[in-house]
Amino acid sequence: MSIPRIFRVRWLWYSLLCVLLWGPYTIVSKLGSREIPAPTMQFLFTLGALPVGLLLLGVRRFKTEKDGKGIFHATFTGILSGIGGMGLFAAYGSGGKTAVITTASSLYPMVTVVLAVLILRERLTWVQVVGLGFATAAFVLFSL
Amino acid sequence: MHIPPWFIYVAVVLVFWGACGIFQKLATNRISAESSLIWLILGFLILEPLVYPGQALWHYSRENIMWGILSGVLSNLGAWGLYAAMKSGGKASIVAPICALYPVVVVFLAPILLHESITKVQGLGVLCGLIAVVLLSA
Repeated sequence: MSIPRIFRVRWLWYSLLCVLLWGPYTIVSKLGSREIPAPTMQFLFTLGALPVGLLLLGVRRFKTEKDGKGIFHATFTGILSGIGGMGLFAAYGSGGKTAVITTASSLYPMVTVVLAVLILRERLTWVQVVGLGFATAAFVLFSL
Repeated sequence: MHIPPWFIYVAVVLVFWGACGIFQKLATNRISAESSLIWLILGFLILEPLVYPGQALWHYSRENIMWGILSGVLSNLGAWGLYAAMKSGGKASIVAPICALYPVVVVFLAPILLHESITKVQGLGVLCGLIAVVLLSA
């Protein structure tokens, strides 16, 4: 019996690996945030991020593209991501249910979609409009 | 309707991570996704002096310190997986919605590892949220 073609594509396994790493990431974040305040959790998070960054740099033989704007935007993304990460640690530390907080915080693409319309002048697709509707419904249900 | 205390913190996450999506797109228009992850970690490092806990760090249990460090390892290895998926031929419109499903893992793990249960209404909210995030990531 042959293995279906979809299971032989590498990107699917990488995607599933991502899901299987990000799920436990939220669990350990919750565990740490029960005692440690958000800024200190962010400090520790970065200590954990550092070896991954160095490993990635090593795999790339310590070479990255030298585009100034690209580097600035990526670094600024890290600063924004770190501040957002502290928000997530604070949310976990405030005692809410992990599954609810994780799902609510994973809805950040709705802000990206709105910002893309406002800043990048992109147009909303009908799929995104339906997505925004479901996101709104989720937040209403979480607040009941 | 009431506003749970975690709502305000999640609002911070939504605003800052939402803005990340814009700057990440601007970055990856010019440099590779893998390079952008390296520079993103530099962005984390820039924040370090502001969040440095000093001697207070040693007041926390070793176990919880380990969880904090592990969160950084898992999160960034996961991001590497996402970028590797796209680099190995996965379309962003398919890979991103799949990766956005990570809360499903949490829904299954949280009752086992954290002994947390959610109400039916919250469960419905999680379902709506998962549909939303897949549609918004597509």
